[in-house]
Amino acid sequence: MSAGTTSVSLDKPVVHPPRRMPGDHGSPLTQSRGVARVLRIVSTALIALWFALPFLPLVLWSFANQWMHPAAFPMEAGTDGLTAAIANGGGLAFLHSLLLSLVVAVIATPLGAMAARALSRGHVRFGKAITVLLFSPVLLPPFAAVLGLNVLLLRAWVPPAVGVVLVLVAVAIPYTTFSMRAAYAAYDDGFDDAARTLGASSRLTLWRIHLPLIAPALARSAFLAFLVGWSDYLITLVVGGGHMITLPLIIASSASGVGNESSVAVLSLSAVIPPLILLGFIARTRNLDPGKQR
Amino acid sequence: MQIWLPFRRAASPTTARRRILPALATAAVTALALSACSAPTNTPSGPEFFDWADVQIAADGQTVKLWMWGGDDQGNAYVDDVLAPAAAAQGVTLERVPIADTKDALNRVFTELQAGRNTDGAVDLVWINGDNFRTGKQADAWFCEWTDLLPNMTLVSDSDPLLTEDFGTPVDGCEAPWHKAQFSFVYNEATVPNPPTTIEGILDWAEDNPGRFTYPAAPDFTGSAFLREVLYSVSGGYENVPSVYSDDAFAELSPALYERLDQLAPSLWREGTTYPATSEQLTKLFADGEIDMMMTYGPATLTALVENGTLPDTTRVLTVDDGTLGNASFFGIPSNSGNIAGAMVVANEALSVEQQVAKADPAVWGQFTVLDLDALSADDRALFDALPQSPVVPTFDILSQNANPELSAEWVPALDDGWRTTIAAR
Repeated sequence: MSAGTTSVSLDKPVVHPPRRMPGDHGSPLTQSRGVARVLRIVSTALIALWFALPFLPLVLWSFANQWMHPAAFPMEAGTDGLTAAIANGGGLAFLHSLLLSLVVAVIATPLGAMAARALSRGHVRFGKAITVLLFSPVLLPPFAAVLGLNVLLLRAWVPPAVGVVLVLVAVAIPYTTFSMRAAYAAYDDGFDDAARTLGASSRLTLWRIHLPLIAPALARSAFLAFLVGWSDYLITLVVGGGHMITLPLIIASSASGVGNESSVAVLSLSAVIPPLILLGFIARTRNLDPGKQR
Repeated sequence: MQIWLPFRRAASPTTARRRILPALATAAVTALALSACSAPTNTPSGPEFFDWADVQIAADGQTVKLWMWGGDDQGNAYVDDVLAPAAAAQGVTLERVPIADTKDALNRVFTELQAGRNTDGAVDLVWINGDNFRTGKQADAWFCEWTDLLPNMTLVSDSDPLLTEDFGTPVDGCEAPWHKAQFSFVYNEATVPNPPTTIEGILDWAEDNPGRFTYPAAPDFTGSAFLREVLYSVSGGYENVPSVYSDDAFAELSPALYERLDQLAPSLWREGTTYPATSEQLTKLFADGEIDMMMTYGPATLTALVENGTLPDTTRVLTVDDGTLGNASFFGIPSNSGNIAGAMVVANEALSVEQQVAKADPAVWGQFTVLDLDALSADDRALFDALPQSPVVPTFDILSQNANPELSAEWVPALDDGWRTTIAAR
């Protein structure tokens, strides 16, 4: 008698059905049909149009050398706008903006995640008061806060670049904390507990179980923190003291004059593209298969 | 059986750390707050120089940050491509900080002074005039009595009222002149074949052509300059308006101004129910052909705006018999700048004949010179005479004929407020 088990081929890959998580789309319960389906598609298209329409004149202006009032479309196409944007220091400003926003995101995201985890698990005393405190940078009028804070930073001899990062991180933390709190509210600590009872060290649990599971939320809150640095004018100028010329500085100063429409359009488009690319990446992030052997 | 719980560790190091960290944080914050309170806030007066050679030695190797309004591409290009290389030849690196509003630079300086940072300010040089200069002077934020040291100041007339007073505030060597501007009315030759020749004529023309004229709402810089122009006109000339503000003079002269503007309002663009908020919006209306006449305090930029197609080819500057307001803009050095000598070298270089000629070329920037042309050598004078003519803007001596002096800065808010309560609230 031969044992049947020997005929099982170990080389054949085992096909698992894709892991389903709460909130994944495609559930038959949430699929719309009939009129509701048409309404859903039409409203999605309208909202997409509403979001996309402002970019149309921006794109047209970017490549318009001449465009006067009665003409519906640019009268002369060309790259004058691009040349002017580069002459105004647009290239270097783009790199400065990118560096600053990445640094802000790298610092503010883990801080926000840690604060959110502590607050959502309720082992923080005066949790509500701390939540209000964390949100205060968003609640205060930025101009007053920045001017007052800048006196303190200057007296403490904080280098301008460090000061800009410190203040922007403080502004970004409410956003990262808030978005991570939502993620932790839906996070099951049982995954971590299970890994630890199976003998994984706390570092391994964090690295292989916890981080992969909250990766999409981390990406989302890093994106928010990135946007804080990417769009800031006031803090970069006032605290930075002109040491850091970022894209918003160039755009604001160019847009305060007449006749720069096409260079302002080129600069604005180049300011919109990196967040859009990041947004595309975030839309694709899924749970990074926790526990996977690498 | 006792289950080992990985998350309930009662090890002492963690608890100890929990006590130490907040204590450390509190200590750090307290130290920061204490150091913040103890800093002195007296105003610095800046370094002292004996002569120009002294300045040149100190300036060598310095980096000067020039904070200037960045809304004018030609101005930015002139500073980057013409002025900065000339400064570099003298050992000074010139970096431009583009700002949307000159007040941003003042705010930075005031904050630094408040924080007691008296010798290493981030603002070394500011393009400035009028209200911003006065605000800075009241706060003792400017380095003063330095312009006499500049060798090129000898090319500037010391009795030119445009350069000795900045909107009624005595300059007192606290800023070095850079260029002059002349308030100008601008019209479209294609739609206004017979333009008026006086301010009163412009207002009459506006009433004959309803909807084709408007002005920016005060307190916009250009809009409030227009109020002063009309005030001069209805008062029978600038001679009849005392330059120093007094409540009596305001009460006597302003009713005629507001009465005239009230009468004009129904004939304006959109029947005067709304006004453009800025001179940029006014220029946009003119560019789009919604109005046929506009005004600007910076005629220098018109040539380029016509060339790049923003404004129609038939744009022309109107010269009026009663003359228009003139002013000058300057370089100011904050007293806490760390590169005062370098900033002085840049200001001096900007006043040289070569730089003033280059800047006056409409293809470069088209800004009017502050030099006293009659005092120049024949060779230098010839350089200015050889400048290409703009098809849009007349030369400065034609434009500035019968130029009207600016009123003192106190007049400006009074006239603006009056306009808001009588005309805007109509």
